[in-house]
Amino acid sequence: MFLIFALMTLIGALMMFRMKNLVMAGLSLVLSFIGVAGLFLLLGNPVAAALQIIVYSGAIVVLVLFVIMLLASHEEEAPEKSRGIQRWSSAVVISILGTGAFWLVKSSPALAAAPLPKVDPMTLNRLGIFLFHNHLVAFEVAGLLLLAAMIGAVSLVKREL
Amino acid sequence: MNPTFLSGTLQAYILVALLLFVIGLATVLLRRSLLMQFMGVELMLNAANVALLAFARFRGGDVEGTAFYLFIIAVAACEAAVGLAIVVALFRHKQTTDSDRADTLRQ
Repeated sequence: MFLIFALMTLIGALMMFRMKNLVMAGLSLVLSFIGVAGLFLLLGNPVAAALQIIVYSGAIVVLVLFVIMLLASHEEEAPEKSRGIQRWSSAVVISILGTGAFWLVKSSPALAAAPLPKVDPMTLNRLGIFLFHNHLVAFEVAGLLLLAAMIGAVSLVKREL
Repeated sequence: MNPTFLSGTLQAYILVALLLFVIGLATVLLRRSLLMQFMGVELMLNAANVALLAFARFRGGDVEGTAFYLFIIAVAACEAAVGLAIVVALFRHKQTTDSDRADTLRQ
């Protein structure tokens, strides 16, 4: 199961990176997010899996696809100039970072030997009680932040208020 | 089949998160469309979430990890709304979603 979901996540992400068509890239992103939701299920966290599907592969990807179709930018525009140095240097930096971190994770004895403790699956009940007992102010601030983002988005896009 | 193969080890989860982050970073740095770069940022946020929840699970199923995840997706939703609004506003000004063509703040 882990292998299936991990491959789904990584193949979706790679397809998104390679896709020429932006709408297809958005749809591969959905595949990747559903794979991540499956990983969360395997981690004994159905709450996070449901949130992942609702918020990421539901709301955010739909928002991105709306904007892609609204702006009619289905294909990436032709490059203005090639910018070879920047592209090559970023590719080199990414591969150095990637292989370095990969090697670090692979060679870490603590990560490899981490035991799998028995836990109950996360429930919304436990999460809600914890959230409203310990992080009530942060929760309210998050709501305020969402409101501010909504007002900001409307005022950015609206021509004259 | 042993249970660690079915549900994965901590190392395997961190490796998946790492590869997801690298692919997201590559998308941000190598693709030119602002919308693609935006999707790359979402991918990197997801990689962080995978690592966070994997560590929470292997610490013994903390509720803190999931609470933190909730706040992260709240912030990600804000970022999505504002970021896409900026892309739409930029398209109105310059008729482009290419980050190379929109590299100056002034008209």
